[in-house]
Amino acid sequence: MDKEKIYAVIKKHMLENLEDLNESDIEPQKSMKDFGANSLDIIEVVSCSMRELNIKIPRSELADINTIDELADKFIAGAAAGGINVK
Amino acid sequence: MSGIIETEVKDNGIAYLKMKDEKDKNTFSDDFVHEIIASLDELENNYQPKVLILSGMPDVFSGGAEKQNLLDLCDGKIHVKDLLISERLVNTPFPVIAAMEGHAVGGGFIMAVCSDIVIAARESRYGVVFMALGFTPGMGCTRLLPELVGNYIANEMMYTGKTYKGRELAEKNTQINYILPQAEVMTKAENIALQIIEKNVKSIQLLKHALSAGKKKLLIEARVQEDFMHKLSFAFPETKKTIEELYRK
Repeated sequence: MDKEKIYAVIKKHMLENLEDLNESDIEPQKSMKDFGANSLDIIEVVSCSMRELNIKIPRSELADINTIDELADKFIAGAAAGGINVK
Repeated sequence: MSGIIETEVKDNGIAYLKMKDEKDKNTFSDDFVHEIIASLDELENNYQPKVLILSGMPDVFSGGAEKQNLLDLCDGKIHVKDLLISERLVNTPFPVIAAMEGHAVGGGFIMAVCSDIVIAARESRYGVVFMALGFTPGMGCTRLLPELVGNYIANEMMYTGKTYKGRELAEKNTQINYILPQAEVMTKAENIALQIIEKNVKSIQLLKHALSAGKKKLLIEARVQEDFMHKLSFAFPETKKTIEELYRK
């Protein structure tokens, strides 16, 4: 799965879920927290993105991710592994 | 009292109950549940306020259930006690205004559902996340949530377990009285309280008694079904796994 597509999906959900955010402001090397996201916002952005991309990664594997770029990489790895089902 | 709940009663008859457990985000630890109930008892018995404003911290109103309690429920060690909060709130002799500046999830949101007037913030998130954790809703949610948000929105909220931004709920035409910018939530609550305290306290109590009768009945009905569903759903092996996974920090 190509990173541009993943990045576009994450961006879309960030724009839907975060306050006062412009697409041009989003930088992949930053954390969602830098754009005002709180923990529940991040859960929602990540859940919505995984649902749209049809990948499942356990919450424990997402805990150490610090930037949007790292999240996109994790999604690529998750997609390559065919998705890891939590349940 | 360990200081996680702060109460104040003004001379004008407005009481304040502020939940401020910074460390555990106003989740329902045993101490928290005990203090909420003790505080409400004290307000009722010693002060007889005309109205209560129930609030939390700017970022969190209440996080609902606590992990260890949920795991103990899975192991059958304890029974669900959170319903005590719902019952206590519904049975107050004074109206309760829930002023939710911050997030309210699960049982935390049900505290607002058990109140008489509800104010939420556009920026904060609200949801009944029970099913996302693997078990069925409690605290009277199945019967009382439809009263606040309508049957079909309540269905959606319960089945998906999603947390909604206040501004999303504002578009859904619920019964939430006001969904305002966070900074205006407390001001609005106080404004409504000031209108209530102009009234005769004895008439306020009479009206509260009449208006809460329906909620008390719904809560009794809910308890029968929800307790039964909890006995089953907390015992599912998947539930414990989901709780352990999702509560990981």
